[in-house]
Amino acid sequence: MTATPDASRSTPRVFVQFSHPDRRFAPSETLVVRYEIEGLGDEPPCAVEHSVLWYTEGKGEEDLGVHFFDRVSDPDRLPPLAASGDFTTTLPPSPLSYEGVIVKIRWCVRVRCFFVGARDFVSEHEFTIGHVPPARIPVASLP
Amino acid sequence: MTAGPQSPTPIPERHRSNPFATRFTRPGRVPPLDATGRAIDVTAVVESLPGGVWAIEAPHGHGKTTLLMAVLEAAAARGRGTAFIQVRSWRDAWPALKAVASMRRSGVVGVDGWEQLPPGAATVIRLAARWRTGCVLATTHRPLGLRVLARCHTTPALLAAIIDRLPGHEGHIAPADVSDAFHRHKGNVREALYDLYDRFERRGR
Repeated sequence: MTATPDASRSTPRVFVQFSHPDRRFAPSETLVVRYEIEGLGDEPPCAVEHSVLWYTEGKGEEDLGVHFFDRVSDPDRLPPLAASGDFTTTLPPSPLSYEGVIVKIRWCVRVRCFFVGARDFVSEHEFTIGHVPPARIPVASLP
Repeated sequence: MTAGPQSPTPIPERHRSNPFATRFTRPGRVPPLDATGRAIDVTAVVESLPGGVWAIEAPHGHGKTTLLMAVLEAAAARGRGTAFIQVRSWRDAWPALKAVASMRRSGVVGVDGWEQLPPGAATVIRLAARWRTGCVLATTHRPLGLRVLARCHTTPALLAAIIDRLPGHEGHIAPADVSDAFHRHKGNVREALYDLYDRFERRGR
């Protein structure tokens, strides 16, 4: 979330359904996502962006790549008329998800709701591409 | 339906984030805190910002950039024009000079790494700041003849307060770890957080 909700506003909840319930995908596989936005109260969003992206997480500088992006601003496709959305994309062959020690590569579906007054709400839902085993820390370096 | 982050459905163990990753600790993610761990009133700092070139002075990893970015963000929120220049070599002198020379009267330009500027460029930027009557905030590791707006100090309490604002470490980090990391890195909070990152990785797998 990039905006702090105040007490008078309800915090939205975004539920995401992946075409693979275990959220594990193969490289170049088709990803189908359906999401539902709840808890908007009386304040419907003026736009919703949904994207598929990867980012690095670790000790160094961060990197990020957006694979798929779409912005929905047509009122007929937004809550309260349409509380859910869906999209399909073919995943790329790389980068593969990786759980390293110094750096990790994470994939996620990001749903971002924009409200009047520049307030926004971001919800991220992780999934994995590929089956790269997580890095192991040498036993000698354990405390 | 697969649950979102607010759902009680747990994310698989190997997807849990290291709370000490740069993603959560980089400047701008945690608000600036004073040595006791209390949040600094950045709004008050912005409202009393004088014109000219001012230094935020402290050794490495003591929160200079965090404070600078928070001040710029608060200034921008109040409609003051802002710019942020990270000086990594003499090549960044020109963008810094350009930002200062084009700033509005009430503008605030942040120059992160002032001592990386060639001496001549620093002098020209000081003159440009006087001409534009805006404010230039410069981070420095040591006194460089600039007037000092703030000196940042760190304590174990400050490090603990930062950790309180990060995602949970699920008990992998004890208070003794926090104190040890702080003293091992001589008060450099950035390095202490990297140290805690490593401890979390070793214990969280």
